[in-house]
Amino acid sequence: MTYRTASIIAYVVFFAVVLALPLVLNSFWTNRVAIYLVYSICAIGISMSWGYAGILSLGQGLFFGMGAYMLAMSLTLAVPENNPVPQLMLLNMEPNAVRDLCCVTTGSFLWIPFRSIAVGMIAGIVVPCILAAGIGYVMFKRRTTGVYVSIITLAFALIGQMLIVNNQPLTGGFNGLADLALLEIAGFEFDPYGPSAYYAVAFTLIAVILLARYMLTGRIGQVLKAIREDEARARYLGYDVENYKLFIFCVSAGVAGLAGMLFTLTSEFATPSLMATSLSISMVIWAATGGRASLLGACIGALIVNFVGSLASESATFQPVWPIILGLLFVFVVLFMPNGIAGIFKAFIERSGNAGKAEGFAETKLSAREV
Amino acid sequence: MNAVHRASQVATVSAAPILRTQKLTVRFDEFPAVREVDLSIADGELRVIIGANGAGKSTLLDLLCGKTLPSEGEIWLRDRNITGIGEAAIARSGVGRKFQTPTVFKDMTVLENLQVASNRRVRVFQNLFDRVKPGPSDKEIAVAERTGLLGSMKRRASELSHGQLQWLELAMVLSQDPKIILLDEPAAGMTAAETDKTAELLLDLAGGHTVLVIEHDMAFVRRICRTITVMHQGAVLAEGTAEEIEHNPAVIEAYLGSATLSHA
Repeated sequence: MTYRTASIIAYVVFFAVVLALPLVLNSFWTNRVAIYLVYSICAIGISMSWGYAGILSLGQGLFFGMGAYMLAMSLTLAVPENNPVPQLMLLNMEPNAVRDLCCVTTGSFLWIPFRSIAVGMIAGIVVPCILAAGIGYVMFKRRTTGVYVSIITLAFALIGQMLIVNNQPLTGGFNGLADLALLEIAGFEFDPYGPSAYYAVAFTLIAVILLARYMLTGRIGQVLKAIREDEARARYLGYDVENYKLFIFCVSAGVAGLAGMLFTLTSEFATPSLMATSLSISMVIWAATGGRASLLGACIGALIVNFVGSLASESATFQPVWPIILGLLFVFVVLFMPNGIAGIFKAFIERSGNAGKAEGFAETKLSAREV
Repeated sequence: MNAVHRASQVATVSAAPILRTQKLTVRFDEFPAVREVDLSIADGELRVIIGANGAGKSTLLDLLCGKTLPSEGEIWLRDRNITGIGEAAIARSGVGRKFQTPTVFKDMTVLENLQVASNRRVRVFQNLFDRVKPGPSDKEIAVAERTGLLGSMKRRASELSHGQLQWLELAMVLSQDPKIILLDEPAAGMTAAETDKTAELLLDLAGGHTVLVIEHDMAFVRRICRTITVMHQGAVLAEGTAEEIEHNPAVIEAYLGSATLSHA
């Protein structure tokens, strides 16, 4: 069996399992697994930028959080009590302010477009993309590479988190946005604990994987890999390296934003902690564990790490040390299995394939000697 | 000065120059690494630049391919001023650069390396939904055959020998269809047999391509060369055939005590 066949089988099996799971899970676990699948989408975003183009963003949580907030704003306004002005603003407004979204608190007019759910959903992807385009443009045009990219993205995520925490009248501050309406599209309501939200996540995940795979197995994937291998050489072959990096960085941010929206859908809240360093770094650990250069690997890495993490959180012994275990896992993966679970899978398939070939080779050698 | 004058007369061959520099100068912290270089390379010419370490040879190539920005002066490719337009744009306009230490995409196969190089639709959105042909194209086969890599198409570049890496990079540069090829010590680190093969390859290229080579090894230079440009302390000291150069008093003076030129 070639590696290609094996990986196609792996994808099909994974999709089948993901689609079949709600049949055997109760509503609590349906919701949990839906959230893990959301994290899988994040891991795909990391895999696209880090695994394929070598851009290690430690601020992916910024884009994830932005996506979550965009939809959460729309879903906040969809609650009847939050009309015309959300409760969180009434609590924080100046005594004689006009009770209208235009000017109840500083900047509250920014919420106006989010009265439309559609705007919230589009903004959930577009705003992270635009943000990434701005950050990426400055970084890549100045030819920032490697660890500096990681530090800059990390810093932006911290700034984002701080801006949200410090602007309570506008953003809900530290508590974030909770008490959201359920997402309703054309009369259909997505229940976070039922199969509807789960399948929204699952189909999005599958679509993202297929699109990303189609793109990255094509010409652009080859060029990105080349850029990862040797940026200068790609440049002297005529490729505008900065544009390629900017492109994949934005796509990766868009994917994170999409995941953020699905997080709001399944968790029913958005908080500044989504932009915390710990979550951004966790995303990198998920992708590394599964195999950063493999989309499916990154997905499975996110599922496994989160599943084990949630088991650990139920045990009084493991819960406090889980972050330490996660850190050690990252060190272990980086040192001993740089291509993660996907790398082990590939090595296994190639070895079993080669074993067959080697036998055949031995035979021909033998017959040659007889002659 | 006299030497330079005479040499420039030699260099004015019939064809219009494909690459031309005007008073090309670069200073690093006020130190001029390349000084007022006027270079003129004719179409189809095989030109060798020689000079001692620190004479500014590699810096000159860096200037030509955009790696270093000139402090003063201009670079013209045919009738286009390519000064300061950026490495990628310079490459697209037809300048191919091969480095001294081979730079290739190590984790990719030889074929993939050639595919990335021969793909001339280089914009992001031209490549977004473009597929890569599973096998080599005729052009990729031809260039691999020429550089002796046809048997290694499916091997990872990281598995190649040093000599093969040099040829792979040369093959990649050829795949770009450059108007002029810049080679920085193409035979560096090669075995005698590999050096022979490289010399043959360069002579073979010389007809159809314009090639500018930097070289240390005088024996190698004599085998491949038509016109030699000698650089000394960042400036052009002399230009002419191997014969003329070796008997040029200015060159002899500059290299006095160094056996590189006369006895290599």
